[in-house]
Amino acid sequence: MSELIKPGQALLYMKVGTHAQESLEDIIARKTKEIEENGVGYWGYGGGTCHPQTMVQPFGKDYEKRGNVIYLCMQEMESKHFAEPIRADEWSTDGVDWNPFPECIEVLGSRYALVIRNLRKLDFDLILDTTRVALGNSMGAPGNKYIRGRVDKACLEVIDENVQTPEKVVKIGLVADIVAPYAVHVRNRPT
Amino acid sequence: MPEPKEIDLRAAINAVSDVVQNRPRPLREFDQIYMKTGDMVLQSEIVARWAKGKRLAFIGDGDAIGCCVAYLHKRGILDYGPSEIAVFDFDERMCSMVTRFADSESLTTLRSHLYNCLEPFPGPMDFDCFYTNPPWGASNDGESVKVFIQRGIEATGGTGEGMVVIADDPELEWPKRVLANVQSFAIESGLFVQRMMPSLHSYHLDDNPDLRSCNLVFKSVPGRPTLTTSLAITDPARLANFYGRDNPPRVRFVREKKRLNYGKAHEDEYALELLERK
Repeated sequence: MSELIKPGQALLYMKVGTHAQESLEDIIARKTKEIEENGVGYWGYGGGTCHPQTMVQPFGKDYEKRGNVIYLCMQEMESKHFAEPIRADEWSTDGVDWNPFPECIEVLGSRYALVIRNLRKLDFDLILDTTRVALGNSMGAPGNKYIRGRVDKACLEVIDENVQTPEKVVKIGLVADIVAPYAVHVRNRPT
Repeated sequence: MPEPKEIDLRAAINAVSDVVQNRPRPLREFDQIYMKTGDMVLQSEIVARWAKGKRLAFIGDGDAIGCCVAYLHKRGILDYGPSEIAVFDFDERMCSMVTRFADSESLTTLRSHLYNCLEPFPGPMDFDCFYTNPPWGASNDGESVKVFIQRGIEATGGTGEGMVVIADDPELEWPKRVLANVQSFAIESGLFVQRMMPSLHSYHLDDNPDLRSCNLVFKSVPGRPTLTTSLAITDPARLANFYGRDNPPRVRFVREKKRLNYGKAHEDEYALELLERK
């Protein structure tokens, strides 16, 4: 396992692949450029398991207080995600006050976005058996039990426990630092 | 409680389907997570039997169990039910849905009030019983549940009964802590646990579809003085993690954007491409 992954480490695990009709390589190139130009990039996502306000923001604030960085650990996968590649115009931390995205930022086909820096390719095995869901209605559930079926992302904390015969080991290929405000809502400008 | 008569299950499911069809979509940031429809049918029957002939206050009702109970009774699918149902909810979409549904189905026993549970309970405080399915308090050890129960107790003047729906999971630790804290709070507030119905309901909860909830039924200890006042809840310690860790309440009401075509597809979801005329 990577040196990144030590007991107490917070991470947001996510499966990634083709998204909104764009290949992963294209997404990485575009996001790297965004970070260079804007200081941070916005990694679009959806689903109900990592809601910006109820999950990712409190997760980020909590670990920042402890002086820790949350790593976004991404597992590449075959994906048939064919959401329409509609560019979001605005972002918001609370769904009330909205801000326009700079021209250089393109979040396509997503409802939410993680705020990231330091996007890099990094290969290592993540033993989900040594993680626990950090907050929310499944708080305390082992990562290997939680990640299944349609649940393909989670706010996890690495626990101090050796597992002799792990049940679920995933290959991480892409990592980024999640930085404040951690996650935001995104939308098209109301007409 | 009387033994229930045989119920026409198809009619009951279809009646609850009528309610679900009219219900607003859930807002996850406010922990609006809807009960699955089959469990709503069973829960509505339980509530109707428990509150037969009584005046029942719902302290929040995103699931729309209040509508189901009133409708099942009115349609004769259940031959018992509360004599009066008042839904108190901070989501105007829900309150308006209750009002529209009560009007369209002539449910004279059902009404709604727009109310945020952090504010003093508006009264009346003489309901016989209360029902609540509050934010379950994973991140606040049940504090959010206690707030809703407090308002329920006030709705009954402290001398009634309450049914509380909260998480009940054999694997996770936090629901056990919440169950313990909630029971302690209820006992300190002059209630005792009359009954627990474990692992009854499942939800449209995408990250934990196996998470169940139970019914906790409370009753007031006899001889308690009647409550006549209700105060706002402002203690930051009680509110800091109300909707999840570091997520205090900041919204007083969810307001409804008024439309003419409730229950139908929104016009901003689609556009019509017409056939070419020759």
